[in-house]
Amino acid sequence: MSTNPILKISKVSRTFGAIQALKEANFEINEGEIMGLVGENGAGKSTLVKIISGFDPGFKGSYQINGKEVKFETPSQAEESGIAIAQQELSLIPNMSVAENIFLTGAKVKKFATLNTLAKMARPYLDEVGLTEVDPTTRINLLSVGEQHLVEVARLISREAKILILDEPTAALGEAESRRILEMVERLAANGKSIIYVSHRLDEIFKITKRITILRDGVSQGIQETKDIDVNKLVEIMLGRELANMFPSKADHISDDPKLEVKELWPDGVLEPVSFSAFKGEILGLSGQLGSGAGEVLASIAGALQSRSGSLTLNGETFLPKSPSHAIKKKIAYCSSDRKKDGLFLGRPIFENLTSPALGAISKYGFNFGSSEDNYSKNLAKEFLIDVKRMHDESGLLSGGNQQKVALGKWLSIKPDVLLVNEPTRGVDVGAKSEIYQRMRELAARGITIIFASTDIQEITYLPDRVITFYRGMMIDEHRLEKIKTPLILKEITDPFNETNL
Amino acid sequence: MSAIIENNQLPFSTKFLQFYKDRTLLAILLSLFAVMFIYGIFFTENYLTITNFKAIIRDAALYGIMAIGLTFVTLSGNFFLLSLKETASICGVTFAMGMATGFGSPDLAGNFLVSLLAALAVGVVSGVIQGYFVGMGGNPIVVTLGGAGILYGIGAWWSDNLVINFTRPHDAEWLGTGSFLGLPSITWSFILIAIAAEIVLRHTNFGRKVYLVGANKAAGKATGHENFSMAIIVFTICSVCCAFVAVAFVAQMDSAQSNYFSAEFGSSGDMTILVIATVMVGGNSIMGGYGSTLRTSLGAIFIAMVDNMMVLQGFNSGPRIVGVGLMIVFSIIVFGLFAKGSRAQE
Repeated sequence: MSTNPILKISKVSRTFGAIQALKEANFEINEGEIMGLVGENGAGKSTLVKIISGFDPGFKGSYQINGKEVKFETPSQAEESGIAIAQQELSLIPNMSVAENIFLTGAKVKKFATLNTLAKMARPYLDEVGLTEVDPTTRINLLSVGEQHLVEVARLISREAKILILDEPTAALGEAESRRILEMVERLAANGKSIIYVSHRLDEIFKITKRITILRDGVSQGIQETKDIDVNKLVEIMLGRELANMFPSKADHISDDPKLEVKELWPDGVLEPVSFSAFKGEILGLSGQLGSGAGEVLASIAGALQSRSGSLTLNGETFLPKSPSHAIKKKIAYCSSDRKKDGLFLGRPIFENLTSPALGAISKYGFNFGSSEDNYSKNLAKEFLIDVKRMHDESGLLSGGNQQKVALGKWLSIKPDVLLVNEPTRGVDVGAKSEIYQRMRELAARGITIIFASTDIQEITYLPDRVITFYRGMMIDEHRLEKIKTPLILKEITDPFNETNL
Repeated sequence: MSAIIENNQLPFSTKFLQFYKDRTLLAILLSLFAVMFIYGIFFTENYLTITNFKAIIRDAALYGIMAIGLTFVTLSGNFFLLSLKETASICGVTFAMGMATGFGSPDLAGNFLVSLLAALAVGVVSGVIQGYFVGMGGNPIVVTLGGAGILYGIGAWWSDNLVINFTRPHDAEWLGTGSFLGLPSITWSFILIAIAAEIVLRHTNFGRKVYLVGANKAAGKATGHENFSMAIIVFTICSVCCAFVAVAFVAQMDSAQSNYFSAEFGSSGDMTILVIATVMVGGNSIMGGYGSTLRTSLGAIFIAMVDNMMVLQGFNSGPRIVGVGLMIVFSIIVFGLFAKGSRAQE
């Protein structure tokens, strides 16, 4: 191992008001190395990345490149030193061609350049990131999201970046596209670039990195050699506790009393009609990647997505919900995956959010004089561990975790028989995550049937009593209790038909 | 526990703005009132008289009532009803037709109740139709601009562009020019409608739904509150308010013509602009979900105050219209600045 890191950060601290985002954190990377950077939400990953890429000059500590102390005031200064960052949100212009996007700043380009010239100039960079078959004159919005990520990286390389920071490049991608990104990362490293790879996907981290820097609460937990540790050890260092402890224990047994029967449901995004049952008091997990159809099935049970055919049987009634309000009347609650879009009224106070599905319960003859709503919403807030003192704050001011608690908690107001949750913990910090899991288990124990869809493999393995796997719009298999095993599920949601081995 | 920590994590400025946002806006409005008031006392003759203040509120009443109706539309996130003056126009023509001719049956001529109900019915029908198309997903601007043309056209066609007169004494005088306990009937109507609207918004399920749907249509749908019925109801409320104002105005003038609300009305020539200005000067969020009819009522009185002062200082209608325009621009800037603290985070 080289003893002269190309970039070295030592004892860096950063405070925002009263909060200390980083406490004497250390970081280093060698030439041609892939360094993983992991940590839960709020651990200080993004702060560290911002400091490295020059977005945040207000830190204390030492920052060296090639052994020389540097101080970047702006991102462009960092770029001149060969540091470039690919953000999670792409900064490409959708209506322009690949080549134009790569040379967007106009550096190195002649005053008058035709698209063909640009295309020729772009070719080597595209080859380097593995987009050999993409025509540089194609418009960006005709490429897949994964390919767009690759173009973004090609742009960074074109500016002669030596150290690349990739911030969650695969977060929005499926398995095949992710694989291309990983291949590109490995190729770039082989070409001598240093890559800081930030990801929540631990399997990727293990696949491609040599060393891993782990942050917890703003403190770097030392640099680990990837080959020396396993996933459980890594998570333990990340969270400061063991993974399994985050999840409540599963039910003792699954009742045989079907609460909700789903027959021949066939929404858009699903290849063939889907039928299954959910039992009383169980947590049923629908597992599948983006585009697998799991989320669509959930949405169509809730009436949020039209189904071509099929019916639900709940409490002896057979029906097919036509709208969310129809489903709500039948005591089916649905918490969508995008709480900012259709889960919360961000500009309205928390208590209004909590009582929003059940205005009838807080009013008499359509009139509502405050006190009953106060009590009602306070009880809901207490059940979901939301700070009662903040009831009159706008819900948009809450953190992701607390927003999710409000988005979920409001459905208790209709006293649901079935609670559907799409991605129960997306964008939620670990503390709130475990609270949410705990609450879901308690609700199930109370007799509510909970069905959730998730792309998070840990969640799918440890939370539910039963799991149904989905792959590309098809239902694959069902597992129960202790038969739920991560490798098997992973296989079923990524490659159930052994296509990769063909 | 985590919630408490997180509270401290919010930047102080955000917390400050969040806490004082409501009060700040109100304070700005009130201090503007005070400034105008003091300026009026010292620099305008005949300003500080009870008669003048009655006149101010009376002026405010006509467009204030319409603005209260429009506030429901704006709060529910359905932007504006742009056919305000055209709705008022056709309702005014309907009312005058009833008073003058009884819609063809001489027995009904001059029957206030029949004429009033006819005018309100026209308001309901136009509100329901426009609300239906907006609820189905139509753009409120396009739908209500189209509605404006159709409504105005029908009124002008029906009345042959003529002034419809009906002579005094008639049964509608009490509403047009009458007064009760020293205040004009229209002022009483304004006060009662303002109180009723505020109670509806604050203390009924319907009022809550207006705010929720206005704050986030998609979340409203997901929690069972669809914009379809909401749009129909708010557009109907707004149109009925227009119809009521039209009836009161026509009763005052003893006559109606289809362009009464375009030209010779109030301070600024154009009723629609004046009403929209009132809603915005009151500080209601154009995107919906935030505001109240109380603000709108204060906005109406404020505009009337400024206008009244300009009249007393001898300005003619041109500069007064400029004044209304400036007030809109000013309110957008001030409220935009102060609302940023919290709503921008969405």
